[in-house]
Amino acid sequence: MKPICTMISIRHLSKTFRNPDGSANTVLKDVNCEISKGEVISIIGPSGSGKSTLLRAMNMLEPPDSGEIWLNGENITAPSYPLETMRRKMGMVFQNFNLFENMTVMENITCAPVKLLHLSREQAELQALALLKEVGMAHQADTYPSELSGGQKQRAAIARALAMQPEIILFDEPTSSLDPTMVGEVLSVIRHLAKLGLTMLIVTHEMRFARDVSTRILFMNEGVIYEDGTPDQIFNHPVHSATKAFVNRIQKLVYEIDSDYYDYYQIHTSLGRFCIKYNIADKNDLVFALIKEVLFEHLRSVRPITVRITHAELSGVTSLDIMVADISVSPLDDKARSSLGAQVRQIIEEPTTRGFRVKLIV
Amino acid sequence: MKQTVVIFLTLLLLSSCGDGRKQFHEPRSEADLSGLTIATSNGTYYHGKFEKRTDVGLYIANTETDALQAVRQGLADVYVTDEIILSQEEMERLNIKLAFRGKETFKVAFALKQGNRRLQTELNRFLAEAPIGDITSHWIAGTPEVPEKEYQIAPDAPPLRCVCAINMAPVSYISAGGEWKGMEPDILRRFAHTTGRRFQMENMSLAAAVAALQAGNCDIVSACITPTEERQLSVDFSDPYYEVHPGYFVPNTGGRAHAKINERLRRSLLIERRWEMILHGLLETVKITLFSILLGSVLGGFVCAAKRSRRRWLRELVALYGLFISGIPALVFLLILFYVVFAGTGMPPSAVAIVTFALCFASSSGNIFHSAISSVPRGQIEAGLSLGFTPMQTFNFVILPQALKKGLPFFAGECVGLLKSTSIVGYIAIHDLTHVGDLIRSRTFDAFMPLFVVTLIYFLLAWLIRKGLGMLLPEARRRKKT
Repeated sequence: MKPICTMISIRHLSKTFRNPDGSANTVLKDVNCEISKGEVISIIGPSGSGKSTLLRAMNMLEPPDSGEIWLNGENITAPSYPLETMRRKMGMVFQNFNLFENMTVMENITCAPVKLLHLSREQAELQALALLKEVGMAHQADTYPSELSGGQKQRAAIARALAMQPEIILFDEPTSSLDPTMVGEVLSVIRHLAKLGLTMLIVTHEMRFARDVSTRILFMNEGVIYEDGTPDQIFNHPVHSATKAFVNRIQKLVYEIDSDYYDYYQIHTSLGRFCIKYNIADKNDLVFALIKEVLFEHLRSVRPITVRITHAELSGVTSLDIMVADISVSPLDDKARSSLGAQVRQIIEEPTTRGFRVKLIV
Repeated sequence: MKQTVVIFLTLLLLSSCGDGRKQFHEPRSEADLSGLTIATSNGTYYHGKFEKRTDVGLYIANTETDALQAVRQGLADVYVTDEIILSQEEMERLNIKLAFRGKETFKVAFALKQGNRRLQTELNRFLAEAPIGDITSHWIAGTPEVPEKEYQIAPDAPPLRCVCAINMAPVSYISAGGEWKGMEPDILRRFAHTTGRRFQMENMSLAAAVAALQAGNCDIVSACITPTEERQLSVDFSDPYYEVHPGYFVPNTGGRAHAKINERLRRSLLIERRWEMILHGLLETVKITLFSILLGSVLGGFVCAAKRSRRRWLRELVALYGLFISGIPALVFLLILFYVVFAGTGMPPSAVAIVTFALCFASSSGNIFHSAISSVPRGQIEAGLSLGFTPMQTFNFVILPQALKKGLPFFAGECVGLLKSTSIVGYIAIHDLTHVGDLIRSRTFDAFMPLFVVTLIYFLLAWLIRKGLGMLLPEARRRKKT
């Protein structure tokens, strides 16, 4: 399908950072890409693959070493091009929010429209209030950023970027420095914006979000765009094995319980975070109850034990593995087996090279 | 805060009431001086004379005033100086008396810069022709004043710049409003007028006065100076105009008790309109502080820019400058600029002081600016740029308000520090607050009241600086609005 109208064209973009020890670190290697109006593009990939650098190069916060970026038929990498004009059309939302600490939320949003678009203060505040309603922050207009939670800060920052009425918004890992409990609120704001038809470029680690919200996915690896396609192509029929491995990666949480002096309460907290982060909060109570039952009833006298919770993000399969070293028969008795079996979908008991593993699929 | 002030004032009051006077037999001749401590001013004939006597102690003060004060405070037993330096009224006022008169006779003369033959000839002719005897006896013996002949001052003639090292009636002293009176100023004023010039006089210690003479910052030094061969190596002398004998002064035992506070306040502030002197001193201090801060901040901006420069040599140059400034006492730096760098340029002392303090202030304020700006996170700058602000706009709207908030308390502290360090400008004969307090002290011999008033004023000025700069904070302005 030929794009209706190319907004941004990236040609042969390269960027090399110099390490403190003098060695070179090439983060972008001859990147080429076309972006059309109305597209919602998620950039995914392992850390260090150049996702953020690509985004920051696009609005020249990190000027590329070579290559060109064209915006609406103008070469913004040309030395004489006024960067301010380009940046007004290209909003940016940062990982660390970067709200102006000395201004209220309202001032954060109105300062650029008033000074750069020459809106009157009343006009700007009216617009800001509408935007704040849009992101659910209207009641916080007069607070300072230091009084807001991370999720609120990020929503205010999104409103600030929108206030300049940009043609495209770049999101640089908008949820990466948020507490897991606040990721949801920020993602739903972005989801909402996507529905409104804004052109967006999102660097993210949230696979399900990327799959659900995007019209197009760029998988970046080792400084190049490895694979470029619809969410269906990238997540369900990836061409490259690296893409496949990345999108099917499994999230893990491991506890090694070596004695009864173990800090069990810590399991409660970290498990809670894990479940919220990967959107399986509904499984939290069950998994915690299972861990408790196994550790304090069925395997009370067996130490050390390794407990591992795994979650495959795309397939949504979650399992709880109980591993005991140096034994070759299952540590569960029939009573335990029937008690656990009633609560989980499936129990797999299998010997491993180092001992025995009981896998509970929840 | 309140407590600190109260304790401080109590201590000051207590210290002003001390009276450590020893009992001793009043000397009647030089032989009686054995075993006593003699106070004299640095570099005088008496300094040399008694240094050679092993049986007497010596208290060497910087000025005649300090030497006299040493005797009054009991630090020394006998104050020796030229007899004429203290008039009868002055002795009564200060509660001291003449114990005996020395046998020597000295001729005193004015000191001039070496090689200034023209001025020397002019002055000698004046001393020979004018009724010097009548003038001196007017001041010493109270005979009627000699009317001054008519004179005309040429409009473009440079003033006759004199420095005197004595501030005591009747030889030379400052009256109300900073006007010089006494025997020596009278002679020199008449001399200036006969040559068609304006008369100008400053007060310094003898050592500083001689340095100023050699540096070309003044024309004539007067201090009842006796020409000696040693002195003629570094300065020239006029013909002698008066003869003096040594006077040995001792405290008047059984004298008056301490005056009451209100009487002391009156003497320190009201008599001879001394509050006017304090006001002038205050203005001088404020002027030097204010201009030093302004000029220093501008220079500090350059220092800050250089520190943030990509050019390494510039950064290192500024670092070297900071090292240089921080390694020299402000006073020494001031003296170097006054006596060496700007010597003979005719630059007024207060301008030299402003330059000195501005140079010191540039280094510290530059550091403060630099660290305040560096404390604003990089992300704030990126956010500003990403909205479409130019780097300059980003600096004005985003960085500056935040840097101001972080740097202002340190900047205010530096300004207060500057205010306090301006108290050294008295060394180059600027009548600032401290120096004026000192002048009043040397006239009333009451150390407490002038110091108390001066302390209070400094304290208020420092408070004002902090308050005033605090108003610059965006928070403060916002609070005021709502």
